Amino acid sequence: MTDVADDTTAPRGATVSPATSTTQAPVVGRATARPTARVAGGRRGPGPAWRKRAEIAFFVAPALLLFLFFVVWPIVKAVQFSLYRWKGFGPLVDFVGLRNYVSVLQNDVFTDALQHNLTIVVCSILIQLPLGLAIALLLNRRLWGQGVLRTIIFVPYVLAEVIAGVVWFQLLQPQYGVIDAVLGVVGLEGPPQGWLGTPDKAMIAVIAVLTWKYLGLAVILFLAGLQGVPEELYEASQLDGASWWQTQRRITIPLLGPTVRTWAFLSMIGSLQLFDMVWILTKGGPANATTTMVTFLVTEGTKRQNFGIASAASVILFVVALTFALLYQRFVMRRDTQDPAPRKKAHR
Amino acid sequence: MSAGTLTPPSTGQPPRATGRRRGVKRPGGGSPLVYGLALVVVALTVGPVLYGVLGGFRSNAQLAETPAGLPSPWVLSNYSGVLTNPDFWRYTLNSTVIALVTTAIVVVFGMMAAYPLARYRFRGREQLFLVFVAGLLFPATVAIIPLFILITKDLQLGNTWWGVALPQAAFALPTTVIILRPFLQALPDELEEAALLDGASRVGFFWRILVPLSGPGMVTVGVLAFVGSWNAYLLPLLLLQGGMKTLPLGVADYSSEYSSDTAGVFAFTSLAMIPALVFFLAMQKRIVNGLQGAVKG
Amino acid sequence: MKTKTRTAAVRTLSLGLGVALLATACSSGGTGEAEETSGDTGDSTTITWWHNSNTAPGKDYYEKVAADFSEANPGVRIEVSAMQHDDMVTKLDAAFQSGDAPDVYMERGGGEMQAHVEAGLTKDLSEVAADTISTLGSSVAGWQIDGQTYGLPFSMGVVGFWYNKAIFEQAGVTEAPATWDEFYAVIDKLKAAGVEPISVGVGEKWPAAHYWYYFALRECSQKVLQDGVSSLDFSDPCFVKAGEDLEKLVAAEPFNAGFLSTPAQKGPTSASALLATGKVAMELAGHWEPGVMQGLTEDKQGLGEDTGWFPFPAVTGGKGDPAAVLGGGDAWAVSEGAPDAAVDFVKYLLSDEVQQGFAEQDMGLPTNPAAVEFVKDPALAALLEVRDSSPFVQLYFDTAFGTSVGGAMNDAIALVFASSGSAQDIVDATQSAADAEK
Repeated sequence: MTDVADDTTAPRGATVSPATSTTQAPVVGRATARPTARVAGGRRGPGPAWRKRAEIAFFVAPALLLFLFFVVWPIVKAVQFSLYRWKGFGPLVDFVGLRNYVSVLQNDVFTDALQHNLTIVVCSILIQLPLGLAIALLLNRRLWGQGVLRTIIFVPYVLAEVIAGVVWFQLLQPQYGVIDAVLGVVGLEGPPQGWLGTPDKAMIAVIAVLTWKYLGLAVILFLAGLQGVPEELYEASQLDGASWWQTQRRITIPLLGPTVRTWAFLSMIGSLQLFDMVWILTKGGPANATTTMVTFLVTEGTKRQNFGIASAASVILFVVALTFALLYQRFVMRRDTQDPAPRKKAHR
Repeated sequence: MSAGTLTPPSTGQPPRATGRRRGVKRPGGGSPLVYGLALVVVALTVGPVLYGVLGGFRSNAQLAETPAGLPSPWVLSNYSGVLTNPDFWRYTLNSTVIALVTTAIVVVFGMMAAYPLARYRFRGREQLFLVFVAGLLFPATVAIIPLFILITKDLQLGNTWWGVALPQAAFALPTTVIILRPFLQALPDELEEAALLDGASRVGFFWRILVPLSGPGMVTVGVLAFVGSWNAYLLPLLLLQGGMKTLPLGVADYSSEYSSDTAGVFAFTSLAMIPALVFFLAMQKRIVNGLQGAVKG
Repeated sequence: MKTKTRTAAVRTLSLGLGVALLATACSSGGTGEAEETSGDTGDSTTITWWHNSNTAPGKDYYEKVAADFSEANPGVRIEVSAMQHDDMVTKLDAAFQSGDAPDVYMERGGGEMQAHVEAGLTKDLSEVAADTISTLGSSVAGWQIDGQTYGLPFSMGVVGFWYNKAIFEQAGVTEAPATWDEFYAVIDKLKAAGVEPISVGVGEKWPAAHYWYYFALRECSQKVLQDGVSSLDFSDPCFVKAGEDLEKLVAAEPFNAGFLSTPAQKGPTSASALLATGKVAMELAGHWEPGVMQGLTEDKQGLGEDTGWFPFPAVTGGKGDPAAVLGGGDAWAVSEGAPDAAVDFVKYLLSDEVQQGFAEQDMGLPTNPAAVEFVKDPALAALLEVRDSSPFVQLYFDTAFGTSVGGAMNDAIALVFASSGSAQDIVDATQSAADAEK
């Protein structure tokens, strides 16, 4: 997981791969060859090494402090809450140990929510990947109005969730909503209780809206990745007489691998943390058909004032996300992080 | 903070030495089929947004009678009401300032933090990076309560621009660092070596060479931070009141405990999304170029 | 190109820094503007007051009230914050947690208030406002714990069936049903006339929950009910019977299409909007309904003269009094540690004068008997009669039990509406949530 972004770099060129990070900075070798150069961190020895550490501290400190203060500390406090039974005000007095965790894991609503999250993870990737890829490939061709099209695709992503949710809620209403009207034109019918009112269909509607909102992001990323495909390959395949589709299949798509894998990682994490859109569309209903882990903990926390339970659920969510991330890193990203050729720079 | 905010990682492929021109030779061109498909995509994408915009031109009663219809008659009072409402402009100012401050902090601190993480080697580097990434995995909504207490009670920054911008920037840092790191890694080592040989310090290298070259990367994370801040709801809700509110909070002015002025909401939200869209439109070229820039270097 | 990107970068950074400096300069002004601190500063006292009438006419009326009080009490300043309801609830919770609660705020009573009292956040008003309490009479019951009063209710309404008289006539329904058997007959007639009989906002759960509360009110004797509510013990079989009555109603399919996700009163597809635009015949709702409906129609008249109301029908064989009503309202409460002037202000809010103005603005159903006759809206006036002549007004269960138990209970009730829960499940869910609280 730490190598998430690293693995998109090919080992050629000036990339720093963590696998080889134990070697000294390349400057070292150079600098020792020129005794007159005074370079920071250039010579081994206590002085410059101390200075290097100071520089690192200088650069990292502001972000790190801000982060520790405003993100890490509240998280630690929230974890502390998970060990108590607490209504949200007054002192923390009712220590219950791990009881909140047990209660959450035994709660049907939570386990169902976990399943829903997993469904969304899988569906998001399965739907957005081919669709995004197809649209990106299409938009990669020389088209009039390419810039405009790209912008339009990205518009749903830029919209605030509040706005998007409100609009889609109206569109999905039964009988009078626009979606059902359009379906009627084609001869299909929406479910009698409405998309958002039928427990079986609600999830489908939610996933459709999520696709609408986040597809643009996938397209933009894939488009950018496509810019990195060397022209020579296209020319070569054209010379060989390959069709457009063959070119895409054999060259373009495989070369998009790293981009796709990184996007999938972020999509997965985002799906696990899903809240805003679902909350506005269904609040987790109907009949708990579209709950997610975060809607669960928001209901417990802010609506029912069971902050201990909410905090315990969020720690569990964190553990789940971490597990996914680590597993993903190990099995999927592995390929991209391995350097086939060792770096030569350091041995100058 | 939106739990669903995804970020574009850089494709971080190394610079090609071939100096190829961008965007010129692309496989195929536009054919009617392609344009047709593009049209479908556009319709599906923009349709719902149009519905919201048109909804602002109707009255609540119209919406109640025929939710799916077109405005008839066209009601201008919703939009004009929003535009002439001084609160709307006040909220816009607050949103803008907070978003700009957040973006500035995120870009500056993010660049500074990503630099050693990308180009230095030191013990604990990956662990440090891991700390930032871990912040992404924890649902922010739970951290809100202790965060709120921290800001209002301990720091006395409740109802100020800084009180909202600082934590927002803090939460945006993990994705910023994740994106910027490969950007910075992609720049050739030779640059650094040359600079150091010329007697520049690391700090000087950072400021004079790295930063200018990272324009596209900075724009990318800047835009994401800006949009994220513009649309943020929960944290501003807890921290701001009265004249200090931001645009998303202004939506609440249109609904009371027992009813809501849906047409007004549509008008308000349609207008509220314009600045974010304009900003994105202006920057979008640089984003894609920015992501490509990681390729080009 | 290097120069260009460099200049661009420099420009961006300096813009950012410039904005940051500007922000620092202005933020101090910003903080000063909307300061929420209260307390005595020499001769002047500032009282912070939060309420949820964030739209006209309520908003303007309350500003006037605050101004009048300041005039009459020199040295006292009132800082008014009018907020949208859900936002106000969120902010109140946050304010309690940070210890920065407003001096005067709204309490809904019951278990919700109890949590505040137990945490020492709410002032005991029994002595300092004794005269007001005796004026208000029995309505304070929902805001009392162990005989001590912590909130002064200023608006209290009851829940019943609002219906469209014109549609009833069309369908051939001449009389409002008094028992549930008659009610089912009415449903049949309405369906035969091609009208959806009832709209209900199961999407928000609490409108659906009111059905179960009322069935319990009808099935259980007053004593059993009150004991059950106070001791959180639902073992009496009457509670399960209430659920069974509900199951029967759901099985008759009298609700609007999409009822499982219908919101209560917000937006054109809400339950109230459906009633206001003549798409359904009736809705079980509280005293806010006429006002809500008026806002949802073009002519601002709602159902106008076709607005009708009848009480929740009696259940044959039920041990509860058919004249008992379910109701609730809002009260003004004072934070612990607020200045004494805050208590005076609250008493002023409940005074004859302010309550009369409240009644005239149709802002709710006043609790002060002196203001009752000033309510202009005929529908609301009729409700007032029902409320004041009822032998027993039960506070909504979810408010009475507190948010945790109430939430679990409403969830289980909503599941019955979705036909994925049973009558027993409601009692089980409520009981286990209640046990977790003990």
